[in-house]
Amino acid sequence: MNLDWLHAFLISGLFSVVVIVGLGLLLHLQLGLTRIANFGVVGFFGIGMYSFGVLFTKVDWPFGDLWAFLISLAFGTLVAGIAGLLIGWLIADLDEDGVLVGTLGFATAVFILATTEQDLTGGALGLGGLKFPYDIGSVKANEFLWLVIVSIVVALILLYVQRIHRTPYGRLLIAIGANEPLARSLGKATFRNKIWLFAVGSAGMGLIGALFGVMKRFLSPESLGIDVTLAAMVALVIGGTARVWGAVVGGFLVIGFFDIVVQSYLPLPKEWYGQAIPNLKQIVFGGVLIMVLLFRPLGILGDMRRDKLMRRVHGE
Amino acid sequence: MVSETQTATLTRPQIHVQNAVKSFNGRVVVKIDDLVLGDQPIEGLIGPNGAGKTTLMRMIMHSTSLDTGTISFRNESVGDVVLSDLPTHWMAPHGVVKSNQVIMDFDKLTILDSMLLSVSQAKYEHPHRIFDEKTVYNSSIEHIHEYMEFFELGDPYRFAGSAGEKKLLDIIRCLLLQPRFLLLDEPTAGLPEEVTSKVVEIVRELATAGTAIVIVEHDLNVIWNLCDEVHFMAEGSVVLHGSPEEIRQHKTVVEKYLGEGHV
Repeated sequence: MNLDWLHAFLISGLFSVVVIVGLGLLLHLQLGLTRIANFGVVGFFGIGMYSFGVLFTKVDWPFGDLWAFLISLAFGTLVAGIAGLLIGWLIADLDEDGVLVGTLGFATAVFILATTEQDLTGGALGLGGLKFPYDIGSVKANEFLWLVIVSIVVALILLYVQRIHRTPYGRLLIAIGANEPLARSLGKATFRNKIWLFAVGSAGMGLIGALFGVMKRFLSPESLGIDVTLAAMVALVIGGTARVWGAVVGGFLVIGFFDIVVQSYLPLPKEWYGQAIPNLKQIVFGGVLIMVLLFRPLGILGDMRRDKLMRRVHGE
Repeated sequence: MVSETQTATLTRPQIHVQNAVKSFNGRVVVKIDDLVLGDQPIEGLIGPNGAGKTTLMRMIMHSTSLDTGTISFRNESVGDVVLSDLPTHWMAPHGVVKSNQVIMDFDKLTILDSMLLSVSQAKYEHPHRIFDEKTVYNSSIEHIHEYMEFFELGDPYRFAGSAGEKKLLDIIRCLLLQPRFLLLDEPTAGLPEEVTSKVVEIVRELATAGTAIVIVEHDLNVIWNLCDEVHFMAEGSVVLHGSPEEIRQHKTVVEKYLGEGHV
């Protein structure tokens, strides 16, 4: 495959965008519909990433690489899901502040575990030995194919989220987010539904984490910083928390702008790339978030339109 | 508008409140030794502000916990159920349903959404059930349309606007749950007169079909016209029972609490 037209930075830039869009879409189910402000996105992402990585590299697999890879991927997803179930169970009845602190604390715990459990994770030195489950030639070609595969996974997540809006389940999630006691009085098991939703969303975040780890081929606690959570949160809020396409629009605008346009096309001095740009990015994220919340709190796409959507779904 | 399962029942379900006590910060708000609701098709619960009517309703729905005592639901088809041991969301599946005194709405859901939410069964509400909208819609839309037309709600694909509309929607959501025991907490407060009379009509229809109904209401005309029995609550206890006529004869008590001109 001739990939000369494609710059390596474009692959990694687009990959960041796709990963953040995926996380943002799952966050949309939790925050946008059910109003659970999960500030521990990176925790579930990290649990999935490390569970996958540790199982894949530490076990002496008796069968082919592809099967070992898929089993490890399923394992990473499952562990993140179980973590989501447990954390969900702890936070489901807390108020917004409690949820924020609880999930943030969880993400911190994951970061610290990844750093201190050196036998398993390699600690701050990191964990190597990950590879793509295929080899089609150059590194660039392999990475490009991985970008395509992950994009397909995220597209499937997008389709799933879009379907959720058109089901009785999605209606229940919106109802729980809008008025939980009222939903309960209509016979809805709101607590159970909240923790299951949280588990499903977290499992998805774990899957994305594992896919992300494969692209990096080297896992280190550095990739478990708060900036992942912030990026997903900022992308979703700017695009529109309540809209399916919010995370997509926000992800391409915010992450796309920074990881592709600013880093690659603007003539910035070379010495900025180490420290200045990542810091600058955080500052601008924060600034943009404040501006959006002040002037357009529902994001670019605005609020959900159940009136139009349901008319379409029911064919009237 | 009333379903067959409701007409099939001959004996009316009852709610039995025994030794139920509820206090907030040491102040006893409700203290009921023995009270049976549902002897008559439509019963009223009246009393001055702060008598504990709404708290009692919330205790029955177990949306507020009891300090001591039990509240049980007697029902021919499922037998005795101790409501005060069950979580709130099990009330509706057992057929015990309450409308809200204050205006409660799901702001982001349309009128139709709200009704579909009410009728949708739990088995359709799982993360993997992603193709069930048509099933739920087709199985309930006729029933929903009957209410839409009866209350002249117009376009279902819009959001409930006025306070009165939200209040009415709250009552319709309760009706769609096909209650066996319906508690109405000030159902006519904030409703226009013609809607009130329609609500009264539906309540009568439900009662004839076998649903037990308890109404808390400040508009005593509704109580005197509609109820077969009235419970008068004061300071946390039921102090008087009887037919509307009997209650009205206790002028001293009623006037003391409700003021002249209401009797």
